[in-house]
This record gives sequence, C-alpha cells and structure tokens, in this order.
Amino acid sequence: MSDLLALEGIAAGYGSIQALSGVSLRVTTGTIVALLGSNGAGKTTTLNTISRVVPLTGGRILFDGEPIHELPSSRVVMRGISQVPEGREIFARMSVEENLVIGAHVRRDRAGIAADLERVCDYFPVLKSRFRQMAGTLSGGEQQMLLIARALMARPRILLLDEPSLGLSPIMVQQIFKIIRRLNEDGLTVLLVEQNARLALAVSQYAYVMENGEIRFEGRSADLVKDDGLRRTYLGV
Amino acid sequence: MTWELFLLFFQQSLMSGLVTGSIYALLALAMVMIFNTTDVPNFGQGEIFMVASYIALVLLVFASVPYLVMIPLTLAAVFFGGAIFQRLVLKRVALARGASVNLVIATLGLSYFLKGVMRQTGIAEVPRSFPALFPTDSVSIGMATATVQDFAILGLALAAMAAFFLFFHFTRTGRAMRAVGMNPRAAILVGVDIERMRWLVWGLSSAIAALAGILISPKLLMTADMGIVVILGFAAAIVGGFTSLPGAVVGGFVIGIVENMVGLFVSSKAIVVAPFLAIMLVLLLRPQGLLGGKATAKKV
Ligand SMILES: Nc1ncnc2c1ncn2[C@@H]1O[C@H](COP(=O)(O)OP(=O)(O)O)[C@@H](O)[C@H]1O
Ligand SMILES: [Mg+2]
Repeated sequence: MSDLLALEGIAAGYGSIQALSGVSLRVTTGTIVALLGSNGAGKTTTLNTISRVVPLTGGRILFDGEPIHELPSSRVVMRGISQVPEGREIFARMSVEENLVIGAHVRRDRAGIAADLERVCDYFPVLKSRFRQMAGTLSGGEQQMLLIARALMARPRILLLDEPSLGLSPIMVQQIFKIIRRLNEDGLTVLLVEQNARLALAVSQYAYVMENGEIRFEGRSADLVKDDGLRRTYLGV
Repeated sequence: MTWELFLLFFQQSLMSGLVTGSIYALLALAMVMIFNTTDVPNFGQGEIFMVASYIALVLLVFASVPYLVMIPLTLAAVFFGGAIFQRLVLKRVALARGASVNLVIATLGLSYFLKGVMRQTGIAEVPRSFPALFPTDSVSIGMATATVQDFAILGLALAAMAAFFLFFHFTRTGRAMRAVGMNPRAAILVGVDIERMRWLVWGLSSAIAALAGILISPKLLMTADMGIVVILGFAAAIVGGFTSLPGAVVGGFVIGIVENMVGLFVSSKAIVVAPFLAIMLVLLLRPQGLLGGKATAKKV
C-alpha cells in the first residue's frame, strides 16, 4: 500500500513559540491513522500545516507523492484534503443545507454536488430532517455531524478529523465513531486527532503519539493499546 | 395641527423617506459587506460615492456618453478602484500586523486622497448639478407627491437590492462572501480563497456606493463634500446591527423615514440631528441593532 499523505520533518511555530519540530508521519491509503497526545502537544497545529493555514518553517508535506506545502489552502482542499476542525466551526447563520453546499465550494459539478447532498445524508440522516434549519440551532452532536458532512461535500480523499469526540455525550461519541469507521470502510482515508486515546486506538490501524511538538511514539494501534507504560505516561488511560 | 395636515405630513414623509431611504440602504449594504469581510468600517465610502458621481457626470455631460453606457462604465471603474485599494493598501496594512485601528486610518487616508484628487481636477471647484436621468413630473399617491424620478430611484435601488440578495444567497461567490463574514476560519477550510473574496467585496461595495451616487446625484448639489451623505448610510448600518445585510436595508428605510418625519413634523433644521437621535435610541434600547441577532463579541 502506498502513502497517501507523508509529513517529512515538518516544523512550525507561532511567532517565537516553536509548536512543531521534526514531525514526520505517514498515512497509508485506505487506513485510519490516529494522532494522539495531551492538550497543547501540537496536534491541531499539525493538521493546520497540512491544510496550509499555519505556515511551515521546515520540512515537506507530500500528498500522493507530490509536494503540497507551498500550495494555497484552497488548492489543498481541491486536491482532496478536507479538515474537520475542532470547536464547532460551522456557519451558524446559514441553513444546514447551505453549510453543506458551501462544503462543495471547490467543486463545479452541479449534478455531482446535488448527488453528494443525498449521499452525505445517508451517513447522517438527522441532517436531512434539519435541512432548512439554521446551523447555529443544532445540538453539539448534530453540529459535529454537520462539520464532517460539510468536509465530505468536497469529495476528499483524506479526512483530517480534529477531536471529533470533544464535548459530546458518550452515546453521541459512539455514533460519530461508528460513522468514521463506515466512511473508512467505504474507502476514505482518515487522519484522526484525539485526546480520547482508547477510542482512537480502537478505531485506527496505526498511531502516533505527540508531546511538546514532537512525535514520541508510533506503532500499530493494537500494539500501543497493550503497552501499559505508554498508556500511563502519555495517554492517561 | 389638524388631522388633515397630520395625514399629509405623514404620507409625504413616508413617500420621501422611502426614496432617500433606499439610497441610505444601498450605502449601508456597501458598508456592512466590507465590515463583515475585512473587519473595517470604510470611512472612505463617502468619497467613493462622491468620485463615482463625478465620473458619471463627466462621462454624461463632458464626454456625452449615452446614459446606458455611462452607468456600466462608472460602476466598472469604481469596482476596480475599490478592488485595487484593497489589494494595494489594505491588504498590506493588514499583513504588517494591522491592528484594526490601522485599517480604519487607511480608509480615512483613502477619503482624504480621493477628495484631494477631486479638488486637483478643478471639476469640483464650482457646485454642479447632475442632469435628471428621469422626468421630474410629479405624481400623487394618496396625499403625497413625488416625481417620476423619485419612483425610478426607489425602483432601481430596490431592484439592485433584490439582485444582491439573489447574488448572496444563490451564487457560489455570494455564498462564499457571506461565509467569510460569518466564520473566516471555516471559510478557509472549505477552500474559499479569502483574499480573493476580500478584493471582490471591496470592488462590489464600491460599485454599490457608485450606484447610490448615480441615482441620488440628480437630487443633490454636487460638491467635493457631497460624500457627507454617507454618514446616513453609517447610521442606517448601525440601526440595522452593522453586520446584517437585511438589517442594513431596514436601517436605511428607517433613517430615511425618520429624517423626513422630523423635517416635516419638527423643523427642517432638526433634520441633521434626526439620524443621530435614531442611532442613540437604537444603541441604548437595542444595542445589537434591529436585526443584529444576539449581542455577542465577534469571533476572530
Ligand atoms: N494561534 C496560536 N497562537 C499562539 N500559540 C498557539 C496558537 N495555537 C496553538 N498555539 C500553541 O502551540 C502549541 C500547540 O498547540 P495545538 O497545536 O493547538 O495543540 P493540541 O491541538 O495538541 O492541543 C501550544 O503550546 C499552543 O499554546
Ligand atoms: Mg487541538
């Protein structure tokens, strides 16, 4: 299997704060890869360098073998990388439908977009029943679903998910993870950022653990789950 | 005051208020668009409005360009002027760690620049009048009277607002502009080219101000200071909540009608303070504006 996404020694920062140094990771086509680590480890920054929202100060990012770390953010989405950001970044005063339509902003195929509106609602039937409702009036779980559905509307080849379980009820978290698994079974590659290590390791095939802007551990998720020392020190489970 | 007179004044101020209000509504729309997408109140808008009106006058009177060619030419010229200002000046100011006060000062700079250039040309040395674009025969509705031109102004302004509504809601670019105003971070993540949206919005907003100028100039005396009218567009935007496009339209009509009512019922000298009374009332009683939604801090 080939690597769909590869970060090679990337570095990034905010002013004088060095947020990432020498981060390398690979996401194989068709897999779910988890990126774990406690608050402030640099997980969101990693996703944002891929999405070209935070500039790199070193290293390379390859998507399907081609460098993307000098492209503008809109091009990255066009190539097939969609991010589901943390923190309910919806368009609150737009309807659910409009949020989804704007998810397809980088596409021009009207017919395809209409078909995909139906397709994403297969994954999230609750959104279908809320089509005309303002997105800001949805519950937290529904907003998270809307965010994932909006990202799918761009027809991505890889989905970057930033803490999809944050602030949701256990039932809702289960539901979301079931959908993530289903999306992956249907062929979507996923890079999953989580603080909830137990869940993330259960759903992923491979995982990386970050601390202070560096990758500390990596390995098959099944192996990491069994590593008691690692679990206590870095994952808090 | 007799009942008869009251009715006359009431109907007349409603009629005149709708006409001038439609212009304030356009100006407020232009203001709100820019504020939503580039986070700056455009203090140069009055001068954009003024320069646009003079461009229209020069084309029409000095160059004898036909009316139907003059309008698109003026709108296009002003569109590019606004877009270029955003690209050349505002974008750089913002990149140079632009605190919002720097951006405001940049728009004030634009205002002085345009006024200065206009004074240089000499065209604005003497007050001029803009030829009427439509007949000025009067028409009565109920007890109120207005001219054919008044109806044309109102009709064209409403048509422009409807066009913008359709544009913002049913086109890819319009939707993206609203998205940038609502949540720039999310807009970037769905692949909106936010810089492109910013210059487009400046262009579009300037063109709206230009349209307002072309429509209302026949009713004004043209001078280099005519941009002062835009203060009423500001007032309308504030009444509407400053971030809401429908609010801007409602605000425009409210300001127009209040202004005319004060003029007729109180005194024509009181007209100048009317908009400010309206702003104060709204700011005190409903600080988020009439259609401004909840009074929450804007998320950056
Ligand atoms: N916009 C920002 N400005 C300054 N520092 C930031 C910003 N975003 C994140 N940081 C810092 O960068 C580091 C990594 O943050 P982040 O990538 O958000 O971590 P995580 O997602 O793993 O919680 C932290 O020390 C954080 O304080
Ligand atoms: Mg984070």
